[in-house]
Amino acid sequence: MKRKIMLMSPAVFMLIAFGVVPLFIMFYFSFLSNGPHGSFTLQNYTDFFSKELYLKLTAKTVQLSLSVTLICLLVAYPMAYIMAKIIRKGKGLLLLLIIIPFWTSALVRAYSWVNLLRDGGLLEIFLRNLNLIEGSLGLLFTQTAVIIGLVHIYFPYMVITIFMSLEKLDDAILDAAQSLGATPFTTFRKITLPLSKVGILTGSILVFIPCLGSFVEPRILGGVNGSVIGTIIEDQFFEIYGWNFGAAIAFILLAMVLASMGLAARFNKEG
Amino acid sequence: MNKKGFLRKAMVTLLAGIMAVGVAGCGLRSSQPEAGKETKTLVVVNWKDYGSDKAEVVKQFEDKYQCKVVHIYMSSEEELLTKLRTDGVGKIDVVLPNASVLPVAEKENLLAAIDTGKLENYQYIADKFKTLPENSLDGKTYAIPWVWGSTAIAYNSNMIKENVASIHVLWDEKYKGQIGFRDDFNDAVMTAAIALGQNPHKPSDLKAVKAKLLEQKPLNKTYWKTGDEWSKLFANNQIAIGVMWSGQAALMKKEGQPITFVIPREGAIGWVDNWAIVRNAPNEDLAYKFIDFMISKEFQENWAKSGGPAPVNSLATAALDPQLVKDNCMDEASLNKLYFISYQTDEVKKAWNELWQEVKAQ
Repeated sequence: MKRKIMLMSPAVFMLIAFGVVPLFIMFYFSFLSNGPHGSFTLQNYTDFFSKELYLKLTAKTVQLSLSVTLICLLVAYPMAYIMAKIIRKGKGLLLLLIIIPFWTSALVRAYSWVNLLRDGGLLEIFLRNLNLIEGSLGLLFTQTAVIIGLVHIYFPYMVITIFMSLEKLDDAILDAAQSLGATPFTTFRKITLPLSKVGILTGSILVFIPCLGSFVEPRILGGVNGSVIGTIIEDQFFEIYGWNFGAAIAFILLAMVLASMGLAARFNKEG
Repeated sequence: MNKKGFLRKAMVTLLAGIMAVGVAGCGLRSSQPEAGKETKTLVVVNWKDYGSDKAEVVKQFEDKYQCKVVHIYMSSEEELLTKLRTDGVGKIDVVLPNASVLPVAEKENLLAAIDTGKLENYQYIADKFKTLPENSLDGKTYAIPWVWGSTAIAYNSNMIKENVASIHVLWDEKYKGQIGFRDDFNDAVMTAAIALGQNPHKPSDLKAVKAKLLEQKPLNKTYWKTGDEWSKLFANNQIAIGVMWSGQAALMKKEGQPITFVIPREGAIGWVDNWAIVRNAPNEDLAYKFIDFMISKEFQENWAKSGGPAPVNSLATAALDPQLVKDNCMDEASLNKLYFISYQTDEVKKAWNELWQEVKAQ
């Protein structure tokens, strides 16, 4: 037993050396006044909460992440359900298709969306040829473009987690419900949905959290209104070397992440 | 100056940022001259692929002075400062700082005062560069200008027929939805200050600057960050005009894009990269020779011809194709309209950055 536990040590070492330790260094930095030097201060945290700018952007980021999560859920659930319960063949192929986007970097995908969504871009040409639209959609460099980009990047997480929880659901239970006279809707509401809740929650967390910290897609697709809390952190680190304030914002974000995970865990228990 | 590419930014994790302090010095050890060998080794810190590390250039210098040249690369000015502060003094010979870190390096006694009399080519440097306030302290010169460029206005001459001459074109309703403004707090604040007739080095009224930027915001197609973004938007006719760098505009013109670069009459932003000698440099004589070589007509002309930034050596500028000089706005008239990016304290940078964030979040 002990030997088997030892097998974990490379992973544990990596986690500690490249995850936990840097996190603590950052935490330490967030209380310093001037780069790696300087004295202890709470200024970085009070700055954040005393300026309307940061609170407003935090609210905007949370709203954006919630929208993305909700849309991912609406897109992913039917797909996961069909894959798990309705079709018999081709599941592997569908899963592969879902995973393929992971083979390209998020940056490349964001740039691809620029080409698709821009005025006179592929999407417009396509819709125009179908006579569905006239003129321009004006989609690129809007909040909608950011949501589209983020949904595309994160919805596979949602599909996969929901698919896995639905796969575990025993078909016999569904058959039993049906033979006892439950309508398909009642079966779904009383059996399928509650039993896939873990998948929904896990998927939502896996989508919501990276969205909170995203900065590439908002920057590239959001145009003049592309600011989110992630771009603020990025600018602190790369534009003005404001490591301390950047670290403080990152930790406030982390606190929000932990709070949302706590909320999700509680929601899971209660149901 | 698009050296801090977006791609790299996206890849560099916070972890790397934190580790940078600890690791910064590690690269230096291997570059120390080996004891017992006759050839001297000159240690240079510069950006990667930035003129001085070209194989032919290095070889030419090595052959001429019977030495070895070793490059250490920096990825930011701050990193250079950190290198000097930690263990660069006494190990590195020559560095390439700009105005954002020079005053700090001078004050902290990290650089050696330069006797410009020992540089044969110094006399050919255009006057405007010899008086940059950041390059000297207490009457002593610490940095020798090398190359420069400007951030001004570029436009698509197929889409815009008028002769653009004023910075106010960025505020012209006519071009609503066709403008690409730069997502950079320094460029934004300085550009707005120039448009308002304020001193761009020290804007007197930041509230007016912010209002001016907010006024401009709805006219933009987008704010661009990397040169790559600009090229794509420009090539696809998504933007027709905007704030752009001289170097990239000239390069795009060379590729056949219908791009025209102008320094507006109100002025524009300029930048300069300078060479400096580190205090206690192991090979000070060689360092002088290296800098002299870097500002020589021959080197400067060749680099500018192959797509490098504008030379400070006026002999080099005079020898270049007049069309290239015009396209790139390298001429003296353009040069004299520029406000070179000056040193700003951390407080000022923070305030400007916050102002810009507020404009973007509005």
